[in-house]
Amino acid sequence: MLEIRNLTKSYGDVMALDRFSLDLKKGEVLGLLGPNGAGKTTLISILAGTLADFTGTVTFEGRNLFADRGLKNRLGIVPQEMAFYDELSAMDNLLFWGGLYDVPRADLKRRAAELLEVVELAGRAKEPVKNFSGGMKRRLNTAIGLLHKPDLLLLDEPTVGIDVQAKVSILDIIRGVGAAGTAVIFTTHQLAEVETTCSRIAIMDHGRILAQGTLDELIRIVGERDIVEITGEFAAASFSEALRDIAGADVELLSVADNLASLAVSDTGRIPRVMDRLFQLKLAVTDLKIKTPGLETVFLKLTGRSLRD
Amino acid sequence: MRRFLLVLANDIRRHLKTPWVILIFILIPLLMTGLIGVIFAPRTDSGQLPPIPVLLVDNDKGMAAKLLVSAFDADQLKKMFLVTVTDEVDGGARMEKGKASAMVVIPKGFTLDLLDAKPVTLRVVKNPAEQFLPDVVEEFMATMGVMLSGAVQAFTEEVKGLRGMLDSPVSAIPWDKLGPQLGKAQKKVVAAAKYLDPLVIRLKEEETKAAGAKTQSSMREIFSIILPGMAIMFLLFIVQTLMRDLLSEREDGKLRRMLTTPLRPIELIGARLAGGWIMGLAVLLVMVAVGALAFRVTWGPFGYFLLLAAVAAFWTAAFFALFHALVRNRNQAGALGAPIILAFSLFGGSMMNPEVMPKAFRTVGIVTPNRWFIDGAALVREGRFPLAALIVLLLSGLVLLALAVPALRRRASV
Repeated sequence: MLEIRNLTKSYGDVMALDRFSLDLKKGEVLGLLGPNGAGKTTLISILAGTLADFTGTVTFEGRNLFADRGLKNRLGIVPQEMAFYDELSAMDNLLFWGGLYDVPRADLKRRAAELLEVVELAGRAKEPVKNFSGGMKRRLNTAIGLLHKPDLLLLDEPTVGIDVQAKVSILDIIRGVGAAGTAVIFTTHQLAEVETTCSRIAIMDHGRILAQGTLDELIRIVGERDIVEITGEFAAASFSEALRDIAGADVELLSVADNLASLAVSDTGRIPRVMDRLFQLKLAVTDLKIKTPGLETVFLKLTGRSLRD
Repeated sequence: MRRFLLVLANDIRRHLKTPWVILIFILIPLLMTGLIGVIFAPRTDSGQLPPIPVLLVDNDKGMAAKLLVSAFDADQLKKMFLVTVTDEVDGGARMEKGKASAMVVIPKGFTLDLLDAKPVTLRVVKNPAEQFLPDVVEEFMATMGVMLSGAVQAFTEEVKGLRGMLDSPVSAIPWDKLGPQLGKAQKKVVAAAKYLDPLVIRLKEEETKAAGAKTQSSMREIFSIILPGMAIMFLLFIVQTLMRDLLSEREDGKLRRMLTTPLRPIELIGARLAGGWIMGLAVLLVMVAVGALAFRVTWGPFGYFLLLAAVAAFWTAAFFALFHALVRNRNQAGALGAPIILAFSLFGGSMMNPEVMPKAFRTVGIVTPNRWFIDGAALVREGRFPLAALIVLLLSGLVLLALAVPALRRRASV
């Protein structure tokens, strides 16, 4: 349905997207994971048509997404900002934003009422949005992107800064939209969100996709090894030096920074040897955690940093 | 077109949902007009001008000086001037304190110089803090000067005889010649008396039938002069506030979201311009209506005024469209917008009558919408068609629009 080929965009010397390519099928929900500055929002902005001066191609069902104005009616956007009018009611906002698409007025009213039920705002449909909580506003922001029943939905961090209940509600909506046949791309910092919501996950950094696949496929990248996270008082260089002799197929240094290091270990029986080595070199260890492999491990291995970085 | 109308209707609905901003901008100029009108209205409760305080310094003490001083005592002038005779030192001190509108100084030797037909100078010291009243005193003194000069010329022969006697000791006065001199003078006075008493030209004060109509008429006149200036100034403020959406929507992501829809940038810009124009015109008309009802301001033929208001609102919308295309953000717009509007208002005559402004101010004022609107409104009030104002505002508005649209498109489009 959507084909992105060699999309490249830079801001001066900074490469935001570097020959980025991606395919998306109908009904597929793609979670786009990446640290800040990975290029997620740039990608969404280009696909939404609000960012220019890039190279590469994007086709939607074989048609140039940017040249064919009619395709705008098939694209839904949920931006990171709460982009609606606070002084208007939820219903008025839905009717206005929906009205900008080619939806017949009668259908629009019915659809707006339906969506207000879905996002659990039907009881406050006529209230000015400025009275809403952050979670309610996020739900309305999401609903606006769905009014015209888009075939491709782009969500830019739709769950930022809201409570758990609102987050669960929005993720339910995304799953429902995907199940109904809409292709979805949503960006997030939250690993748990993509684990539970997405049919496919893409991890990107420095403007490129580092890996993509289902959760199981991604976990296989790091194998069945456990992750050992060591916290202490040491310099990154000293820690790397200490591990040089014992690192091998069963102990792999995934990432190291001052006072924090992550290792992939295929046999936990090797951990005492690692600790002995650190003590010998007088590197103080204050905490040690053993984690089973998950998306966070994959992310750490691929980007060399945790997602919150 | 459908989306253009949708955005336009949405803008108007939004602004009407929060009417306080607009109401405040309507109320402030009306309140200011009322206050200024009341403060500067030159009327007392009795419908008369308040007497003008004048200080009179008589350094001469001669006959002509006494004549001049006594002139202020005439019945009609008593109503007009409140005269205090003093010396120059005390008078100067009172003037410094702003206690009088003007001080008239009669120089020493005034009478003798007058009788000798030498040029004499009366000094009028004016209070710079007052605009009109010192000029009234000056004009009055100029008139008195003309009258005295005329009298001296009319009695030249008699004055010459009298002047010679004044310099002679009493024993040397030729009393036998004095009789004929006085006789001639008496004949002239008697001949003139039929014109002087009663005066050929007299002033008669009349009241209109409606009680207090004179005061109301005067107040109405003042409001009619002040309100158009205030209205155009606050029209500028209102339209700037309304059109600030062009920036705020860019900053809060709404513009980006709109551009992901099938809405074209030109439809959005057109709707914003039309919104500013329609709202501005509506606000202006509300001010006009309230002005007519509350202050009984007469605006002239409504069709003419509507045309002028529509063109002024169009100019304002086009100007602020360009302004918001050029500034970077809302803070910059706020920081620059108010000084520009105040400068327009100062030079354009919203804050003071252009006739009393320095020439340089008046020249600068020509490039402001305030000046053209105020001039146009004055013509309409007289029942005349404000052709020049309409042409200037319309053409310059179109130029602003032609500059604004591509600039806004560049900022709005990707």
